[in-house]
Amino acid sequence: MRHPARTLRIMRYAFLSGAQDYASIYTWKSWLGGWFVRVLSQVVFFALIGKLLRSDQQTWYLLVGNAVMLAAMEGIWALNLVNWERDSGTLQLLAASPSNPVVVFAARGSYLIADGLASSLGALLVVGLLFRLPLPWPRVLLVIPLTLLVGASGYCFGTFLAGILIRARNLNGIVSNVGIITFMTLCGVNVPLAAYPAPVAFVAKFVPLTHGLVAIRDVLAGNLGPVAGQAGLEAAVGLAWLGLCLVTFGRFVRHGRRDGSLEFAN
Amino acid sequence: MVRGVLAGVRLQLILYRQYPDSFIPLMTAPLYTIIFVMIVRHGGRADLSGYAVVAPAFISLWWFALFHGGLVVNSDRWSQTLELHVAAPTSFPAVIFGRILTVTLVGQLSFVEVWLVGKYLLRTPIAIQHPGVLTATLLATAFAMAATALFMACLFVLVRNAFTMTNSISYPFYVLGGILVPVALLPGFVQPVSRLVFLSWSADLLRASLSAAPVADVGFRLAMIVLLGAAGFAVAADLMRRVVQRVRNTGELGLR
Repeated sequence: MRHPARTLRIMRYAFLSGAQDYASIYTWKSWLGGWFVRVLSQVVFFALIGKLLRSDQQTWYLLVGNAVMLAAMEGIWALNLVNWERDSGTLQLLAASPSNPVVVFAARGSYLIADGLASSLGALLVVGLLFRLPLPWPRVLLVIPLTLLVGASGYCFGTFLAGILIRARNLNGIVSNVGIITFMTLCGVNVPLAAYPAPVAFVAKFVPLTHGLVAIRDVLAGNLGPVAGQAGLEAAVGLAWLGLCLVTFGRFVRHGRRDGSLEFAN
Repeated sequence: MVRGVLAGVRLQLILYRQYPDSFIPLMTAPLYTIIFVMIVRHGGRADLSGYAVVAPAFISLWWFALFHGGLVVNSDRWSQTLELHVAAPTSFPAVIFGRILTVTLVGQLSFVEVWLVGKYLLRTPIAIQHPGVLTATLLATAFAMAATALFMACLFVLVRNAFTMTNSISYPFYVLGGILVPVALLPGFVQPVSRLVFLSWSADLLRASLSAAPVADVGFRLAMIVLLGAAGFAVAADLMRRVVQRVRNTGELGLR
């Protein structure tokens, strides 16, 4: 970070190139007709369980949890960054370039945070209206920055995992898929933390999503007192994972450069 | 023909051994089971645990059909062996059938897995009240799922961006297929569409086999699964014919 202007320029280009990649996968029509339909179905699927249980409270709990989960999910997908570069044949070039690889990687996938925010808020609004979720105005607006915070926190965690996966290519799919469902299981998405065994609830406090989701539930319930504290904890968790990422990512890349395993790690 | 099928089975088994992430659905199924069982228990409805255990098996099975089935032909295209494969004296569809058969059989393991997780890990009381209905449903479901996998295999080759589509056609089918929440609880206008998805008949019948109440219209419900599976096979066979024809006539599929 000795040259902030240069770092910002690298981040800008990395973000733009990542956004271009994403635009080549989805047009706004295929996003709305494909991805967004899936996102809505995912939240509807869980909200319907509340209907099966004949409880509006359960329905809304599941709806909010799974809608906010989308922001964290897309953030955590940052762990795929290394594999995407590897598949494009650009991983070695990035590793060999004089810029700090973590700056490039962290910026290149940051469109995931924006996409996660749109998916999450869109699902909350559309499915919320379908299931008559109370969205009290104007405090519901606080959900926007809090969801952004959850996505960013998940992204920091995902980028940290991307560094670890530099050396374990074959585990990418497993970590990505099993990791997301583990988050869904752990972080109070479907049942309150109080329902977990104490050690599991303790671990949940150190992963992204948990505190941000509590803050969002508090906002919707009108319990604004603890919101700032929970948001602060979510930010602290995200920053802690980012710090760990900054410490380890460069080391993993250097190791890969030294033994030539960047392209062939498994 | 039989040698082709066996070669397909062998190839798919080798691929499963080489790529541990092929078994992702078997790794996520226990987590889904924990999630669903926790939800129904927390909601005070432990009596719905059977529902919570059935759903993850269908999620795994759908994944196998979608991703593994979908990749069966496409992987040949990516490794530039599609044309060689079609030109070989062994029947191409026979090899594909062998691979699809393996995908379906491995996918069925998820039913055993979630039952074990439910019974021994989560101590969920799941009794199979109608074993005959359960067995017949699993067989009919395997047939329909194989048809879906074959359909996906051909679709992935013929439609550009089909792989991106797979991300989008999981949860919509979980909802329409009523794999956890029965179709009867969906809005009225959705129910006729749901009835065109074989998962809805399979899931209903599987849940019924776990319930002590007598199962009504077993024959009709099984016939619907088989009928929808057969319709899927007919469409998939037509797509397969087109794939082979295009490989032979234009040679373009390997290049796209």
